[in-house]
Amino acid sequence: MTTLTSTLNAKTRINQHRSVKTRWGRVGIYGFLIITALFFLLPLYVMLTTSFKELDDIRSSSIFSLPQSFSFDAWSIAWSSACTGLECNGLQVGFWNSVKILIPSVFISVMLGAINGYALSFWKIKGANILFACLLLGAFIPYQVFIYPLIRVYADIGIYGTLSGVVLSHVIFGMPIMTLLFRNYYSGLPQELFNAARIDGAGFFKVFFFIIFPMSVPIVIVAVIMQVTNIWNDFLIGLVFAGNDNLPMTVQLNNIVNTTTGERAYNVNMAATILTSLVPLVIYVASGRWFVRGIASGAVKG
Amino acid sequence: MEWLRVRRHIQRNMLAYIAVIPMALTVFIAYMGTMFWSVRLSLTSSRILPKYDFVGFAQYERLFETSRWVTSLENLVIIAFLFLIICFVLGFLLSVFIDQKIKAESFFRTVFLFPYAMSFIVTGLVWQWIFNPQLGIQSTMRNLGWETFTFDWIVNPNMVLYTVVIAAVWQGSGLVMALLLAGLRGIDEDLWKATKIDGIPTWRVYLSIILPMLRPMIITTVVLLSISIIKMYDVVVAMTMGGPGIASEVPAKFIMDNLFERGNIGIATAASTVLLTTVLCLIAPFIYSNYIKKSR
Amino acid sequence: MMKKLTLAMAIATLSTATIAKEEAEVMHWWTSGGESAAIKVLADSYEAKGGKWKDSAVAGGSNARSAAINRMIGGSPPTAALFNTSQQYRELIAEGMLNNIDKVALANNWDDILPQPTLNAIKVDGHFYAAPVNIHMPGWFWYSKKAFEKSGIEKEPQTAQELFAALDKLKAAGYIPLALGGQEWQENLLFATVLSNIGGKQIYMDVLGKRDEKTLNSEAFRNVVDTFLKLKPYVDAGSPGRNWNDTTSLVINNKAGIQVMGDWAKGEFTQANKVADIDYGCFPGLGDDSLYIVGGDVFVFPKTDDKQQVAAQQNLVKSMLSPATQIAFNNLKGSIPVRTDIDVSAMDVCAQKGAAILRVAERQIPDGSMLMEEYRYGTLKDAITEVWNGQNMTTDQAVTILAHSLRD
Repeated sequence: MTTLTSTLNAKTRINQHRSVKTRWGRVGIYGFLIITALFFLLPLYVMLTTSFKELDDIRSSSIFSLPQSFSFDAWSIAWSSACTGLECNGLQVGFWNSVKILIPSVFISVMLGAINGYALSFWKIKGANILFACLLLGAFIPYQVFIYPLIRVYADIGIYGTLSGVVLSHVIFGMPIMTLLFRNYYSGLPQELFNAARIDGAGFFKVFFFIIFPMSVPIVIVAVIMQVTNIWNDFLIGLVFAGNDNLPMTVQLNNIVNTTTGERAYNVNMAATILTSLVPLVIYVASGRWFVRGIASGAVKG
Repeated sequence: MEWLRVRRHIQRNMLAYIAVIPMALTVFIAYMGTMFWSVRLSLTSSRILPKYDFVGFAQYERLFETSRWVTSLENLVIIAFLFLIICFVLGFLLSVFIDQKIKAESFFRTVFLFPYAMSFIVTGLVWQWIFNPQLGIQSTMRNLGWETFTFDWIVNPNMVLYTVVIAAVWQGSGLVMALLLAGLRGIDEDLWKATKIDGIPTWRVYLSIILPMLRPMIITTVVLLSISIIKMYDVVVAMTMGGPGIASEVPAKFIMDNLFERGNIGIATAASTVLLTTVLCLIAPFIYSNYIKKSR
Repeated sequence: MMKKLTLAMAIATLSTATIAKEEAEVMHWWTSGGESAAIKVLADSYEAKGGKWKDSAVAGGSNARSAAINRMIGGSPPTAALFNTSQQYRELIAEGMLNNIDKVALANNWDDILPQPTLNAIKVDGHFYAAPVNIHMPGWFWYSKKAFEKSGIEKEPQTAQELFAALDKLKAAGYIPLALGGQEWQENLLFATVLSNIGGKQIYMDVLGKRDEKTLNSEAFRNVVDTFLKLKPYVDAGSPGRNWNDTTSLVINNKAGIQVMGDWAKGEFTQANKVADIDYGCFPGLGDDSLYIVGGDVFVFPKTDDKQQVAAQQNLVKSMLSPATQIAFNNLKGSIPVRTDIDVSAMDVCAQKGAAILRVAERQIPDGSMLMEEYRYGTLKDAITEVWNGQNMTTDQAVTILAHSLRD
């Protein structure tokens, strides 16, 4: 196949591509990236310095100033002793619950999204597009409107307040975007691949698992990034559907951070927020090595 | 033989039909069910708990008499316009630049993506500080000696929306970058070789060849951004609480406040129905041309 | 066989354990440091009586309330839930979703020992459906002693005139005269304070309670609105969107003169090691017979027929309102005890001022949220924030907008 040779040529291509670039072009690129990165990092800088400050320091100093004395107290309080109501065990309480919710929810919703997208773009299913349009439209309704009817249905089938209930909710709410993501990605793939496989007599799932899915690495990465972030950061669905024994970490985060008339420990809030976002961040960093060029071509080779 | 072929065809398609059953169930039970339910409730006098009486369009009349709702809608239009364009342009530029075999690619990618991982409850507060004339940029510049420096958008009813857009772009453009980067990385290597040989300048390749090829990913991006615009809530609550006054109110906040704080399901469902209908009108032609007509 | 047996035994011990200790699950939104300490007093007091307190905290009033309602709908309600006493509360009662606690209330003479506004709020059709645990007064004046001294203000202002004179002096001395966080609820709180202090009891009740057209068009109400708008020039440019506690910091750090805020602000001063009457001062209103806005927190008890749960509900109420618990709890919460029949000399100066007023029925007025439905109150708050933030807002325009929002 031609794509095979193209992989081999990739390096040459890049070198040629690069040699044309003027030096100033490179400077411009780096300049733009660095300035944008600084803009992106500014709030993080404020959060980090604030998290290391004492409360008195925060009250009296500029938000951009460095802490007078570095203190890790806020971090340890946020993780293990901040009060979230009567219990003062910090964020750690919900960590494993969040993991328990995260893994099945991400796995199921990404797989379902991939299969939906695959079925929609390569197979002829009557009414599929209208179905998809309705699904997409549903993504524009605020989650909050769903809560009441879903509670009723869940209570009737006996999964209200269980792990299955919360996983199911994540799968339902994730479906429009996941399906959209895969459907559009697949519509950019060459149809010939699929046709060739079909001529060889491969069935629905065989084509999917051996041909299509291996070519989906870049989009699976994006899908995983999105779902991990959304599900990990979800507060509402976890609170409403997870039941008391499975409350996710964000409920604790919210309890630490969100108060109207209570006092606010900003340093703990900042530390807690950064701690909570560590899991998605690890996923972002880890996803890096999969963000490589030529995945699609490589897959066909195998 | 013919019979066998047909049977095999049915068998194959059968699996495809079976595979979309979960999607069909979700659409019919969760999405369509909820949509009809909320439209039904918008015609009732429901307050904190759903009631199933019928009051006609009374809730809609009340809704459009509320200046807060009208302002929210106007704000939504401005935010949508700016947020879509800036997020998209910035995200596209970032993805293209990152795709230039740069050093520390992974670092830059993570930096641009990390805001997406952070809960707005707190990052919104940080943005509020940064924009606050007495805490943030303005006071810092003045302390540095630029006595007349003024940057008070967040306390200015005419400018506050732009601060919300800046924070939202900060959070959203990383995802656009990741999506478009995935698209760029899926593009065939041969293309570059061909354009190279033809001696087309790189920027032209991006504009005239790559961009059209990325069309499916661009559509995905636009839909995702639109969804997040319609649902925009956290950032406003954390940064401005809708203020000064009602200058930065958005529809999702109106719906949430009425659904919970004010125990007013009737008007909340009416508002979400209005929003849904608007979206339907806006995206119906789009969905039609992209998904139904162009069925391949 | 063995396995089955041990399992059966395990289940048996488990169930006896639950029978032995009556368990009460309590949902609330008190999650910040001081609030957590306060709820701990309630929990300890309940557990001291032999029960087991299961804590379910959800930050944010509306989050927690809707979580409780969701649990009721889903068929697994908590034993008790922190709530408010406005329309939501009445609707839950009308739907038969709450148990009444008449038994405890009557046995403890609630009719005699609770302030009238609180009684009016919790008693529906002659039954008690909620247990009040404290009185919050949202409209205290907090001021920096140092700023007052440096500006040459000798005493706490007693009239509107003196208040504006003081604000002018603060301004002249380079302080932020009036510290306000420009969020809807804080602006509303300032308005309610002006309404009660300038308008007086009659106007306050006619405007918020009866929403009386005539009063809304009266000169007296116009005067209230006028005073409210006159306060605006005394607020700094950094006000919009600012959190209340950051605003309190301005007073703590002697950058601002006065803040109007609820009694929960005391916690901020205490945390910054400031002492009442030395570093900062507090007064509940202008003049010696100023009105006291009575707000506060209540617990409700979702419907259940489970005898044990009903017993748990009654015991919760008893323990929450016991005198010692009331003092300890309110010290931490910043509020004052809901019972008027207990000794408050162990509390701080501000709380004592408040508790003294609580014994004078004429000086009490209910919080706006007790006087109208949430959606109505919400519309009023929208109007207040619109008026406050309006550019070139005239008094007449403001009166029109406010009156319109209160119309049926």
